Amino acid sequence: MRPSEDQLKAWMTAGLDGDAASHALLLGALVPLLRQFYRRRIGDETEIEDLVQEVLIAVHTRRASYDRDRLFTPWLFSIARYKLVDHFRRAHVTSPIEDLAELLSVEGFEDASNAAIDVDRLLSTLPPKQANAIRQTRLDGLSTAEAAAAGGIGESDVKVSVHRGLKALAARLRGERP
Amino acid sequence: MKTDHLIEQLVRDVRPVPRRSRTLRVAAGIAVGGIVTLVVVALALGIRPDLHIAMRGYPFWMKWAYTVSLGIGAMAVTARLARPEPVRLARFWPIALPFLLLAILGAVELARAPMQHWPAMWLSKTWKVCPLLVLGLSAPIFIGLLWSFRRLAPTRLRLAGAAAGLTSGAWAAALYCLHCPEVSAIFVLTWYTLGILLAAALGALIGPRLLRW
Repeated sequence: MRPSEDQLKAWMTAGLDGDAASHALLLGALVPLLRQFYRRRIGDETEIEDLVQEVLIAVHTRRASYDRDRLFTPWLFSIARYKLVDHFRRAHVTSPIEDLAELLSVEGFEDASNAAIDVDRLLSTLPPKQANAIRQTRLDGLSTAEAAAAGGIGESDVKVSVHRGLKALAARLRGERP
Repeated sequence: MKTDHLIEQLVRDVRPVPRRSRTLRVAAGIAVGGIVTLVVVALALGIRPDLHIAMRGYPFWMKWAYTVSLGIGAMAVTARLARPEPVRLARFWPIALPFLLLAILGAVELARAPMQHWPAMWLSKTWKVCPLLVLGLSAPIFIGLLWSFRRLAPTRLRLAGAAAGLTSGAWAAALYCLHCPEVSAIFVLTWYTLGILLAAALGALIGPRLLRW
């Protein structure tokens, strides 16, 4: 089961207070998250592992840049995204047109975490299952299959949850329901 | 190296990080650089001998208010850009307020003065050196901010470089006030601002190279 935002944030905060055990738990929990993030965007396993390690080092040495009053995941993925862009730049990747959609989906991720704080407030108004499904597939960049596996539920269940959740949010934003 | 091994090494050194550490670190960088700039102003340029008299007059506080408010605003922007999360640039509009207020003040001063005094108010004696001195004095503060960024996580490097340049320029100008004898708002508006913007431009130019991590 994927650790929740609240859990990660609790570990991060304890680590900032000097608790090495919590900090170790946090870094350990980030490894699968980051591998997943990079696997969707890069093929080479060695490169993926290098990037994961670079992010872990950055999370450790640059943790003063984390604001305890904010969400942890947008902070983390902003660092992951920065390292990804830096990786492409270093490798002088000239993207063929086929890869463009993938790169753009990384760009789209920026908007996603930009709005993450508002979105989080909105999501908290939904049933937890729908909120989780939307968060995983639309914000964290998991595929439907990955989200289903992480939650231990069926793929169609995830799809339905996302659909119903988004519909409820849309209705709320249009002001149809208080 | 194995990732598990890396984590073991990292968690050996978990020093507590105080709340507000990001802002504190940026402020510390400015303060340390500022002390160096202050020493340079005092030793190389010289504090103006009539400072205690000038401090009772309006021009000194006009210059001080402009540069210090700009410095505080720019510091807030720099501290924001030291967080990795995406930024909305439109949120930074208040940084233009000191400039707008000083522009209004400058217009009022000009309106009250006879037109033949305008060139003297605008250029006065030191317009050729003022921008370059402000730019030069900003260097120690900019270096201080580079130190601040070492444990922070800017992701828009050009922008962070420009913000650091703006901050160092504004604080350098504030310290330059201790030397500078000029009195008109339109002078400060043009030549101080030019020096500060030069520092920001230089910061934008070298930011991506120096701030990369």
